[in-house]
Amino acid sequence: MRTVSRWTGVAVVLALFLWSAWETELSLSRMVEGLPFMADFLQRMFPPDFSVLGNAGRGALQTLQIAVVGTAVAAVAALPLGFLAARNVAPAWLFYGVRSLLNALRAIDTLVYALFFVAAVGLGPFPGVLAVVAYTTMILAKLYSEAIEAIDPGPVEAATAAGATRLQVLRFGVVPQLLPLFISFTLYRFETNIRAAAILGFVGAGGIGFYIQTYLRMLNYPAASTVLLILIALVMAVDFTSSRIRQRLI
Amino acid sequence: MIEVRGLTKVYPPSTVALRDVSLKIPDGQFVTVIGPSGAGKSSLLRCVNGLVAPTAGEILIDGESLTAARGEARRRLVARIGFVFQQFNLIKRLSVLDNVLVGRLSHVPELRSLVGSFPRRDRVLADAVLARVGLAELAHRRADTLSGGQQQRVAIARALVQEPRTILADEPMASLDPALSRTVMDLLRRINEEDGITVITTLHVMDLALEYGQRVIGLRDGRVVYDGGAAGVTDEIVDAIFGGGAG
Repeated sequence: MRTVSRWTGVAVVLALFLWSAWETELSLSRMVEGLPFMADFLQRMFPPDFSVLGNAGRGALQTLQIAVVGTAVAAVAALPLGFLAARNVAPAWLFYGVRSLLNALRAIDTLVYALFFVAAVGLGPFPGVLAVVAYTTMILAKLYSEAIEAIDPGPVEAATAAGATRLQVLRFGVVPQLLPLFISFTLYRFETNIRAAAILGFVGAGGIGFYIQTYLRMLNYPAASTVLLILIALVMAVDFTSSRIRQRLI
Repeated sequence: MIEVRGLTKVYPPSTVALRDVSLKIPDGQFVTVIGPSGAGKSSLLRCVNGLVAPTAGEILIDGESLTAARGEARRRLVARIGFVFQQFNLIKRLSVLDNVLVGRLSHVPELRSLVGSFPRRDRVLADAVLARVGLAELAHRRADTLSGGQQQRVAIARALVQEPRTILADEPMASLDPALSRTVMDLLRRINEEDGITVITTLHVMDLALEYGQRVIGLRDGRVVYDGGAAGVTDEIVDAIFGGGAG
């Protein structure tokens, strides 16, 4: 019985793969034919044109700023939602409502939110910030709520048994358990948001993506490669710093 | 004085933990509560300090009803009782001293405590109590770096800085190895003798209960089946508590 169901599973996955490969026109020969063009593309990017370093730097800085403001606002906005989406805090009707809403809204990615906000408030970094806030709030609320559900009730009982007030119980029984986790989640999302914010410029929502797209459209590959190098440096620097801090927290 | 009147506790849907239990525990006694697991020992202790709400009956602390008290008045009654948990219930990543200071929460100004600041006299008291339980050097270590026996002493220190009239200890040595259980029981006895604090502790080991308890309360199926001196606990009574040789 087990072996039968296992082979059925393998067959289903294989069939799904073949069908999708066919529909997406997966083709080794077409890829091989494309190789010279890829090589040509990369060749034209070299050497990078460092005269656009100023633009690249400004774009990178704006991407960083979008990620900082967007993540910070989301980290705070997610707090009430996180508690409302926690099974051990919110009443069932509220918990299910908030959970479902979070799941639905989380299905939409930052870039899609950016299209929406560009249409609503116009071009520039501001719709980018709004897009980062929208997506990050949903995902942090989910992460917060899971941390809240996994809380150790022991310290809460201990503070209650010591005659602490409700606020004191929260401050001494709950916050010390959650704070390092919340900060860690927020830093992790900040790392991800740098990458997300880097492509927001493609849809007119500010940051370094604007320059990547502009130079590629102008077929100015040496300039585009400078911008890409700056982006890689930014992402690596943020990842390194943030993961160092996260390691110390837990 | 702790008084329990007609205490019944039912956990929904139909688990009866305590059935009409009545007890009077005068100040300064050392009481051990003994019984098989599921006899209602923990529920009794947790009802006495209000962590669990009784289904029926009343708890009186120095003549005041805990069951009827609300808000500030209730917290003041609760603060008169220190509680020592089987699993210590420390905040793992905070220092030993910060954990002990949790016991002072009912004594300090609320707003000030919320920013993590404690008056000097409270910190001095916490240091003194840590010295008393033999942990002065470890005050600034993270709680989870301590051994189980040390963590339980931190928890006892947390109960002591509350300056309670009574300490309830729920299987205080069940998470420790046997050699350490004596240290914890000796510490509780010293607190009882030197400070005159009433100690009520549940135990599942009969010989410890008889050795330390001036008064032994035997529980079975949520009922008191023995209440008296350790000397009066005969084989028949052990049998009545733990039942049919199964214990």
